[in-house]
Amino acid sequence: MGADYKTLHVESRGHVGWLIFDRPAKANAMDATMLDELEAAWKQLDADPHVRVIVNTGNGTAFQTGLDVAQLSREPDALREQSRRTRRAELRLTAWHNRVWKPVIAAVNGVCAGGGLHFVADADIVICSTAATFLDPHVSIGQVTAFEAIGLVRKSPMEPITRMALLGRHERLSAERAFELGICSEVVEPEQLLDAAQALADKIAKNSPAAMAATKRALWGALETGLTEASKSGAMEMVTVWGHPDQIEGPAAFAERRDPQWKEVG
Amino acid sequence: MTEYQTLIVERRGAVGWLINNRPEALNAMNNAMRDEFALAWKELDDDPDVRVIVHTGNGRAFQTGADVSELASDGIGMERYRESVENFDMHFTSWHQKVWKPVICAVNGICAGGAFHFVADADIVIAASDAQFMDPHVSVGQVVAVEAVALLRKMPVEAVMRMALVGRYERMSAQRAYQLGMVSQIVDPPENLRDAAQALAEKIAKNSPAAMAATKRALWGALEMGLTDACKAGAMELVSMWGHPDQLEGPASFAEKREPVWVAPVAADGLSA
Repeated sequence: MGADYKTLHVESRGHVGWLIFDRPAKANAMDATMLDELEAAWKQLDADPHVRVIVNTGNGTAFQTGLDVAQLSREPDALREQSRRTRRAELRLTAWHNRVWKPVIAAVNGVCAGGGLHFVADADIVICSTAATFLDPHVSIGQVTAFEAIGLVRKSPMEPITRMALLGRHERLSAERAFELGICSEVVEPEQLLDAAQALADKIAKNSPAAMAATKRALWGALETGLTEASKSGAMEMVTVWGHPDQIEGPAAFAERRDPQWKEVG
Repeated sequence: MTEYQTLIVERRGAVGWLINNRPEALNAMNNAMRDEFALAWKELDDDPDVRVIVHTGNGRAFQTGADVSELASDGIGMERYRESVENFDMHFTSWHQKVWKPVICAVNGICAGGAFHFVADADIVIAASDAQFMDPHVSVGQVVAVEAVALLRKMPVEAVMRMALVGRYERMSAQRAYQLGMVSQIVDPPENLRDAAQALAEKIAKNSPAAMAATKRALWGALEMGLTDACKAGAMELVSMWGHPDQLEGPASFAEKREPVWVAPVAADGLSA
């Protein structure tokens, strides 16, 4: 489907776009090429009108292990650019960074470490293989944890996130504990992860794309402001779809017991 | 006292009950019910004999959001609500109505779509073991906004997002809602729900109404701002009680091993009691 990627595998299955980290020999760590390709891949999937839901997972035993610091140190220009973006909070790694308003499912297939947590924090829905583990080794190598954990502390109980940030590489959070804490909503056997992600995405793809995009804007926007302010902005998002054809089609399809024909977005 | 068509409003001791009563429509909110909610919350809030409010539903559903059949048949649909939504001028939950008495939401069955307004805006939520939660908005072309905006400040966000985006194709169990902290108690068998809610409300009714109102203002206010600002605002609520008669009565009754006699609650508008 268009661009050739060296570090990612991008494809679509029905209405579901897949963005797969594909540097298994390096535990899917992000090198300079992957940093560029991620931005392109999110934008490609977001712009494709046939794609209604996006699943993000990894090839091999790791999900994602953050920046490939060794490789980046050999590419001073790329490292400089990344440092600039980091300083300005202008990263373009995740769906949220790239303002993707289609639903995004992270399917965590294995270890998710350090910068890999960006992709968990910034997904709408997270499901895990029993083989998934979470850790944040930043402070064990003298680095600061910031964006990933800032996102996560707004989405889950805080104590486990600060524990992970401060324990560094000396402890891992299990998939089971992530489920208990509500960091993920489903844990499946490793060989069932991709099917489970596709099945979940297929359900989501039955819903109105326009309504889901406005819902995402309302809910992610709610993490930016106070409750009353967020409720007001959310109310405006609600009204944006009034008069949209999906609002007629939804109840009509329901009454006629058929699948709705939603208007395409993108 | 108002006569209600779609709600039952009653008192059991110090506990005010607000019961959704359109069981044949799964307690969906039509226009009449929307208007009656605004009155019922105020009536219970203004009654100095009511110290805690329990909200539940008659029949097999707790509540199922807006009455879609009315919306689909009256030729006006959601447009009727445009002005109130655009101005965020809503009046059907206790939070909308600035009720500072403790509110317990007792979820007795299906809780769908707009019903999350009542879960999100309650202080305490308990559920019957057969309660089920789902948000079908996006499956009928509607946006999920205000109810989830509040809910995701009160529980893990991923679960709220999942319900919002999966729509009618999945339901959350009472057990999972309990694990996630969306509800704090599951009542089994389900028919014991109201007794459990009354017992919980009676415990709460033993506490100082004035202290609980200030506590509610401090904690709900904290959802409006950053941590340091919320602590500063909370400090003002805390100090507001200093010198209040309940602050003498509390320790005195404890020392004398008797029940405290609190100053009766005052409604938010200050007109009653």
